[in-house]
Amino acid sequence: MAALPRDWFDSRQGRVLLENLTAYLFIFPAGAIIFIFGLFPVAFAFFVSLYRWRRFPDEYLGLENYYKALGNFGYILFFFTALAVLVYAAILFYQLVKRVRGGMWLYILPGIVNAAAAALFVDWFFKLLPYVLDVPRRMPRGQTRDRALFVDEFFNSFKFEGVPDAGYRLLFGLVAGVVLSLACLWLVRSRDRVEVLLRITVTVLLVIGGAWLMRLTLNEMDETIQLAEDAGESLPIWTQIIFIGLGAILLFVAYAVWTRAVRQDEDRRFVFWGLAALLLMAGGYLLIVYFPQSITAIDNDLEQGFWVTILYVIGTVPVQLGLGLGLAYLLFHTQRGKTMFRIIYFLPYITPFAATAVVFSTMFSNRNNSPANYMLKFFGIDSQKWLLEPTPVNELIFKRDLPQLLEGPGLALVVIMIWSIWTYIGYDTVIFMAGLGNIPPEYYEAARIDGASTWSLFRHITLPLLSPTTFFLSLIAIIGTFQAFTQMWIMRRPAAYDAVDTVGVYLFETVSTKAEYGYGSAMAFVLFATILMITFFQNRILSRRVFYG
Amino acid sequence: MAKVRKPFPWRTVFSYLILIVGVIVAVLPFMWMVSSSLMTQAEVSLGRIVPDEPQPQNYTEAWNRANFGRFMWNSTRITVITIVGLLLFCIPAAYAFARMRFVGRNVLFAIMLTTLMIPDIVTLIPNFLTIIWLGRFSATICGEACAWYNNWPALTVPFMASAFSIFLLRQFFAQIPDELWDAARIDGAGHLRFMVQIVLPLSRAPVMTVITFAFIGSWNSLLWPLLVTQSDDWRPVAAGLTKFVNSDAPGDFHLQMAASVIMIVPILIMYFFTQKQFTEGIATSGLKG
Repeated sequence: MAALPRDWFDSRQGRVLLENLTAYLFIFPAGAIIFIFGLFPVAFAFFVSLYRWRRFPDEYLGLENYYKALGNFGYILFFFTALAVLVYAAILFYQLVKRVRGGMWLYILPGIVNAAAAALFVDWFFKLLPYVLDVPRRMPRGQTRDRALFVDEFFNSFKFEGVPDAGYRLLFGLVAGVVLSLACLWLVRSRDRVEVLLRITVTVLLVIGGAWLMRLTLNEMDETIQLAEDAGESLPIWTQIIFIGLGAILLFVAYAVWTRAVRQDEDRRFVFWGLAALLLMAGGYLLIVYFPQSITAIDNDLEQGFWVTILYVIGTVPVQLGLGLGLAYLLFHTQRGKTMFRIIYFLPYITPFAATAVVFSTMFSNRNNSPANYMLKFFGIDSQKWLLEPTPVNELIFKRDLPQLLEGPGLALVVIMIWSIWTYIGYDTVIFMAGLGNIPPEYYEAARIDGASTWSLFRHITLPLLSPTTFFLSLIAIIGTFQAFTQMWIMRRPAAYDAVDTVGVYLFETVSTKAEYGYGSAMAFVLFATILMITFFQNRILSRRVFYG
Repeated sequence: MAKVRKPFPWRTVFSYLILIVGVIVAVLPFMWMVSSSLMTQAEVSLGRIVPDEPQPQNYTEAWNRANFGRFMWNSTRITVITIVGLLLFCIPAAYAFARMRFVGRNVLFAIMLTTLMIPDIVTLIPNFLTIIWLGRFSATICGEACAWYNNWPALTVPFMASAFSIFLLRQFFAQIPDELWDAARIDGAGHLRFMVQIVLPLSRAPVMTVITFAFIGSWNSLLWPLLVTQSDDWRPVAAGLTKFVNSDAPGDFHLQMAASVIMIVPILIMYFFTQKQFTEGIATSGLKG
């Protein structure tokens, strides 16, 4: 330590540097793990989804996995995603221009070079990755445990065709980026220059990413259309893109008109509502005609999986939230035994699925005297096969065939729904209780002085002030139920596979038994896109109704 | 606490009635689990509610036939390794985010929080491939003991840092008054020393919350272990129970129930000791997350 210039570390600059270094040291282990297993996998999954991939990377397929999953709609989805990225980048750029005003051009060049360097890094990395992943396979047979050979092969990966070139380009980009950024930061003396430069870089990166995605999509689409034409068929992807886009825009406009209508006075409101309804119908009509047409080539198992998943979400989330809110409300206004009730309600949530599954599958077993059938007998109903029963409940109740939209979930899925509602009510109750605790009691007192009834207290004070909690819980619940698979995976019985296999289960099966990693990743991305879209709309539409104190 | 209009007695009675129905619904499966774990197989099949004569030997039979000694030991090992790693990695990170100033702090924190929004199902496949590759790599470099697949690293390392735990700890660390830090610095303490000797002793509650979450998480985990293990050497108790139920004792409901009871006992003990911090941790983190 004596050799270190202690005085320097005691100076202001030294202390700042030391603090920075210590902080990075503190963050490094956790940060590395979160990056490798939490962030990087998203890019990796997308990369895998572009390949035929079984254990090792195989042939490059482009978007074929998505076509296999969704049919034409795979391309349409990518087209709109790329478009959305580009539009979002344009909005960001517009905001920046408005904010910076003068001297924007000083940022633009370094921004472009920085973004290019980042893109070059991604390019280099994903050119290198397949060779690195292939190292074990390139080893001579029987030599897999030879350390020196393994290390040699590892470093050989950097020398494969295309990798060094990409590496040099990256190096050049990095140097140019650093030099230009420093020059820019030196020239501009505004206080937020670092932030502006970062934002510009991100914006340009989005443009690059969007453009790349768009080029990929268009190329792939052209190829597919060409192939279909060679086979004497026609693929109306473009028509579908145009009309689905138009339908979505009409729906959006209808929504905008609708929200405006609410603010109008009585006479004009009527006209606006009529207009909104008209637009809604037109948009809906376009979507109803063209959307199903674009997914005719969808993977049937995946379609079934989505159907089951949606039924599961609709069947669990509202019930779970409603019951949780009810219990929390009652519990909050009781004087005694609050803690005890809370502990007990929370029990199902902390108990492992594997254990409660045993109880529920025995309770709902197909034997004549299982508890569930015993209950039915008490009400004079025939005993059911429960978990082994794929027939939709409404067909069981009305004893006749129904159209798919009306037939409801299979009985086996209903059992799983009951089980997961039972599991999650306690969690919702506890969080609702915390939310209720945050409502200032003065509001209730004031309202009571005005003579409000218990119901109007609940309706006009509790519900609005609790809306952030409700919003948060519904978001969590929808995200969670959309990817549900542990529950189904434990409870599925061969007789009722069709009725309970969600997208998650189908995906897991594809990966674990068929080892089709590329296709599995494509499905994971489709699911991810669905969840993102739902969260986005939920945010847009519901968050306006959320009232923050 | 909000004190609404003093309710008429019948209203109180009514709400207690509903609450008690809720308790019954929540507890009934557990009661039935315990009671049928003490029955004979015939009694379960007949649909009895209580056993004529309790059969405690079911537990030893289930324990032996399900090879629970092995699985319990595995789960314990996995849990302990995960928690040690979690504390070792997350506490410094949370401390840095809460109490240190460095370039890019907010950006890094925001990036870290976005991982909370990525569904597990997206990361499942790439993480599996990463594990396979890292495992091959380290097994070649330092021998079989360092393998990842079918070994402890695959089961523990990915869970040794979680954005959620860091977030939870950071929220608490940030509330510790600055005066303490000033005093410690005057006495010549650095960040590491301040963290270990002042911050940690004050943060028993959030640390317990993090531990409980990790405990429950690793005790419950089933699909990831099934994906990254091949044999029973490292499979956790949830996998053991599922295997026992599906292939070893498909018809022996009484033994299945006994095995389930065995599996949930450690979790229940953990929960009853930490339930206060745990529910509070969930409530606050849930609201602010």
